[in-house]
Amino acid sequence: MPTASGSTTRGIRGSRRGWFAAALVPALALVSAACGAAASQTQSGSGASAGGGKLVVWDWHSGDATTKEYYAKAKADFEAKHPGVQVEFVAQPYDQYYTLLGTAIQAGKGPDISMFNGGAQMRDRATSLLPLDDKVGDLKDRLVGWDAFRKDNATYAVPVTLQGFPFYYNKAVYRKAGLDPEKPPKTLAELQTACAAIKKSGNACFNLGNKEGLGIEFFLSGFGPGVFGQAQYDAWLAGKRDWKSPEVKQIFDLWKKTNDEGWYNKGVNSTAMFMDQFTMFSGGKGGNVIGLISDTAHWKSFDEFLGPDLGVYKPPVSNPGQVTSTFLPAEGGIGYGVMKWTKDPALAVDLVKSLASTDAEKSFFEKAGAIAADKTVDTKSVDVKAAGEIVSWLPDSKPLLHTALSAKTLDLMHRLSQQLISGDVTVDQVLTQLAASDK
Amino acid sequence: MAVPAARRTTAARRWHLSEHKIAALVLVTPALLIIVGLRIVPLVLGAQYSLTGDGDRNGLFVGLANYRTLLDDPVFRTALRNVGLLFLALPVAVAVPGLLATFLFLKVPGHRFYRSVYFFPVVLSPVIIGAIFNILLSFDGPLNQLLGKAGIAPVDWLGNSHIAILSVIGVHVWATFGMALVIFMAGFSTLDQSLLDAARCDGATLPQTVWHVVIPELSRTIQFVFVTTMIGMLTGMFGLVYVMTAGGPGGATYLPEFYIWVTQGQMNSPALASAASMVLFVLMLLVGLAQIRLIKRATKEV
Repeated sequence: MPTASGSTTRGIRGSRRGWFAAALVPALALVSAACGAAASQTQSGSGASAGGGKLVVWDWHSGDATTKEYYAKAKADFEAKHPGVQVEFVAQPYDQYYTLLGTAIQAGKGPDISMFNGGAQMRDRATSLLPLDDKVGDLKDRLVGWDAFRKDNATYAVPVTLQGFPFYYNKAVYRKAGLDPEKPPKTLAELQTACAAIKKSGNACFNLGNKEGLGIEFFLSGFGPGVFGQAQYDAWLAGKRDWKSPEVKQIFDLWKKTNDEGWYNKGVNSTAMFMDQFTMFSGGKGGNVIGLISDTAHWKSFDEFLGPDLGVYKPPVSNPGQVTSTFLPAEGGIGYGVMKWTKDPALAVDLVKSLASTDAEKSFFEKAGAIAADKTVDTKSVDVKAAGEIVSWLPDSKPLLHTALSAKTLDLMHRLSQQLISGDVTVDQVLTQLAASDK
Repeated sequence: MAVPAARRTTAARRWHLSEHKIAALVLVTPALLIIVGLRIVPLVLGAQYSLTGDGDRNGLFVGLANYRTLLDDPVFRTALRNVGLLFLALPVAVAVPGLLATFLFLKVPGHRFYRSVYFFPVVLSPVIIGAIFNILLSFDGPLNQLLGKAGIAPVDWLGNSHIAILSVIGVHVWATFGMALVIFMAGFSTLDQSLLDAARCDGATLPQTVWHVVIPELSRTIQFVFVTTMIGMLTGMFGLVYVMTAGGPGGATYLPEFYIWVTQGQMNSPALASAASMVLFVLMLLVGLAQIRLIKRATKEV
């Protein structure tokens, strides 16, 4: 029957057409999705995660056990003011943090609020951040450390902790070397004498891990206050840096000389700073270390291992002609910035304020050992002598030398510091290259 | 107008033919779209992106400025030089599994044990391997202690700018040769036993047998191993570099992949990173084309 067969053929064709359509639908969906992805790259701001009353915060701390209470308090503080608004903290791995954030910035979508280190990492991304000067007026007096989050006279993040480079020392190692454990070195000459004695007693004078090249940052900013005169220090921070000055050369010469004289543990260039260098110091295998005051490798983490043997001192006077007394180099450590694509900036700023509230900061200090940016936090509850000394030095502190440099110059400095140690480059060549990079 | 019967059939056949074509086209469309959408389009976007600026000049056309920056960057030049070193290390990376597979084929005592042990590192992730060798090769680690007992001065395997890259390549070869070994073993199993017997009857020594019988018989396998090993070296060493040296000391162990990652993430210069990616892409393309040619020639010979 021709009609029947004809209708059957048509039926098959019809079903085949339907099948084609079925195959085409996901294919077209894929194309439109791809176009959507490509398009959203150009229109930054669309598709931000704020929406439906939800704020997303990126950081590298909310996964830590020690900061649990800090985040709980900040969240409670915010939710009391804005019931119904959800807050999500996303903990990213620190060594990937800026890579992930860079990708988010490139795509124009990501968190509403991001944690930043003060200095280069934040300044390099200032174009993706909202200027906060007119929004955080009420925080200006309570918090310190703003300079690290400023670029071209605008403030882009609110400091939560302070970061600085004190010299920690192990009194047991000093005793073993026949040194007075209550008299840490005040000058470079005293430090050199102490190092000779510690080396003789079988310990490394300083623990140093420069696998990532970070050692030179600690060295430059740590020794800087004892080498630079006041005017030069301020000029450096203001961007007028003379890499060929005798003082800068002195610091890099010292970097090389201390290595050649055997101040450090063996294999400096293949030892990781985090955490091998600090594990060595905690384990009593070194006399001194330039450590931090917040985040990690700070008074609290050393106190766990060394207890009453932990001591701390300010940078030694290395250039008696120009410097009579030194200070603790410290500035804003980590802070929170508001990404410019957030839907409700006022809401985001309120969350940042909660993250910087006195109550939250207090538990950050007590539980995680971070020196708070909040001046009003009561630090007496913590019974670690080194912490008390660090807090007492804060009023005289000045920002760190290395955070004034760009990420590019820092990266170059990392590599050159390793080459100085392996003897592949001279100090003069290093300074020439750094001067060229830091324009 | 009545259409002649002959023409009608041709038309029908044509319609059928084109229907087949459409069917084929529809069937390959999803795969094509995936390749175009997820491979070709990003590649073109990347190429276009590499011609724009970073930071203040974000999105602006800057011509070949990024490529000039790359040429002037000593770190990128080191990365390319290290790729050259990988090429030099390639014969070693192929010879090691080749030799070991020969021993296994000749059934040295304990060959069953070695066969599984040699493959074992392949299943470990580069991060774990890197962590293990970080400990083994550290300055006060076991290897240096062993050297010390033999009266040899310790070597900073990962901290010496001249040795570190060799250490990383060595570890990579150790970590991956198991796969090549398996391919060689498969090749050996296809070896013509009568040729080996004939060689033995003619009184060929072991080296002569290897040189005149085994290697010519295995030429295709050897070439395949060359190709896969090179691709593995160019694309699979990021994890080891990241864990073992972080590109140091002094940038001596940078490879293009690591450079791209640092430039994009740490330096916040995605356009420059795109330019570096394009250079790596062209490099891989050249290597790939050269190797395809080699394979084609080899298969024609047989």
